[in-house]
Amino acid sequence: MTISENILCSKSHEYVYEKDGNYYIGLTDFAIEQLGDIVFVELPEVDSKYTKGEIFGTVESVKAASELYMPVSGKVIEINEKLIEKPELLNEEPFEEMWLIKIESENYKEDSSDLIEYSKYKEEVE
Amino acid sequence: MTKRTSLYEEHIKLKAKIVDFAGWEMPVQYTSIIEEHNNVRKNAGLFDVSHMGEIFISGKDALNFLQTLVPQDISKIIDKKAKYCQFTTESGGIIDDLFIYKLREDYYLLVVNASRLDVDYNWLIKNKGDFDVVIDNKSDIYSMVALQGPKASDILDNIGLKKENQPHTMYIMETSLLGENIFISRTGYTGEDGFEIIIKNEKAPELWETILEKGKEYGILPIGLGARDTLRLEAAMSLYGNELNENTTPIEASLTWSIDKDKVSDYKGKDIIQNQIKNGVEKKLIAFKMIDRAIARHEYEIFYNNEKIGYVTSGGFAPFLNTNIGFGYINTNKNLKIDDTIQIMIRNKLYNAQITSKNFIQKHNKGN
Repeated sequence: MTISENILCSKSHEYVYEKDGNYYIGLTDFAIEQLGDIVFVELPEVDSKYTKGEIFGTVESVKAASELYMPVSGKVIEINEKLIEKPELLNEEPFEEMWLIKIESENYKEDSSDLIEYSKYKEEVE
Repeated sequence: MTKRTSLYEEHIKLKAKIVDFAGWEMPVQYTSIIEEHNNVRKNAGLFDVSHMGEIFISGKDALNFLQTLVPQDISKIIDKKAKYCQFTTESGGIIDDLFIYKLREDYYLLVVNASRLDVDYNWLIKNKGDFDVVIDNKSDIYSMVALQGPKASDILDNIGLKKENQPHTMYIMETSLLGENIFISRTGYTGEDGFEIIIKNEKAPELWETILEKGKEYGILPIGLGARDTLRLEAAMSLYGNELNENTTPIEASLTWSIDKDKVSDYKGKDIIQNQIKNGVEKKLIAFKMIDRAIARHEYEIFYNNEKIGYVTSGGFAPFLNTNIGFGYINTNKNLKIDDTIQIMIRNKLYNAQITSKNFIQKHNKGN
């Protein structure tokens, strides 16, 4: 199974997928394309907890700042440190590899029920 | 209803991302703002600025009429010379900033912001009074492109306007290019050497395509409004609506350098402006560089010792400097100076920034 078959997306353009028991949250390729050159990424502290819909960070392109919303609730167990030093990797690398945070999720099934599959998301935004 | 410039189809062909700007459908970027920005600093870039307004003022009172409207001394402009000016209100506020070109005796060209064209035109009509002048808004028949960057002069040479015939910095000329009469000035909004060319709408697409074609060997790229904004920010140039508005005087906006302090003729807001030059102002535009990792944006608040002292007017990432910079108004009662540390409130947290000189970049390739 490839990652992209497993990806669920929110209306605010965050994605989440499960891999080896953890959940990876990032920004969709559509959102990255819309933002343009990304020059700043602010991510939360490890161990901080967020509920679904809460703001967990910010990405800024040359043009503007955009807040990041949790697609599901969870506890941050790792952040993608590379992006702090090199936010442009979001523009350069495949979006599913450039996840922003890795979380533990307790109610993934329930939380993700309103998220849509990546293929359907792509149809909607394009 | 949004408007389209004569070059709209060119932007679509080049797959530009289009946005609404001051009622116009304009290209914000073609590839990447950072790439476009750095290419203007390194090679050259071509901008569609046809949304800007061109107003011609002629007649025997043209000089005296313009003298009443701006703090600059228009009588000092020699033929073919450009001057950066501001229309001011009775209370010294800025109605618009513009370039006034003296084409010849009794004949001036005013290039104004797209967002202010209607306001400017009405202001001119309203103040015409008994002056013997003709106010001719030709914005609808003219297009304007800006060719900017250290290779701009080479590219112009390559399309037939030889270097020895090109206008000098801050001059304008009327000449012929591609068999069409044009106005070409050596001015711009990027901090680089470069030209602005005014041409009839019908001929603009051919000029656009020719410049891109003949500029290829010099590394030219089309540049969108996104990079136009970062370039002007890095070059410390004000943007109407951000740094400048009707509640801000040229003195507060740190444009005193552009004003003729000893201008004898009366102009709107003269008493207030003269008084501010002499006695100082309560708020002043400053430039800053972020010390902490964060980006200040338009309308964020500025603090000093936990006290709010002002607000950010423009801010962002400066691609060529590779740092985060901005402009803002601060109260002058703290006597803050260059190198002092201020804070910017960003998402409910304060981040350090340092007041800097406005010379973010040295003009690294001067025109002749």
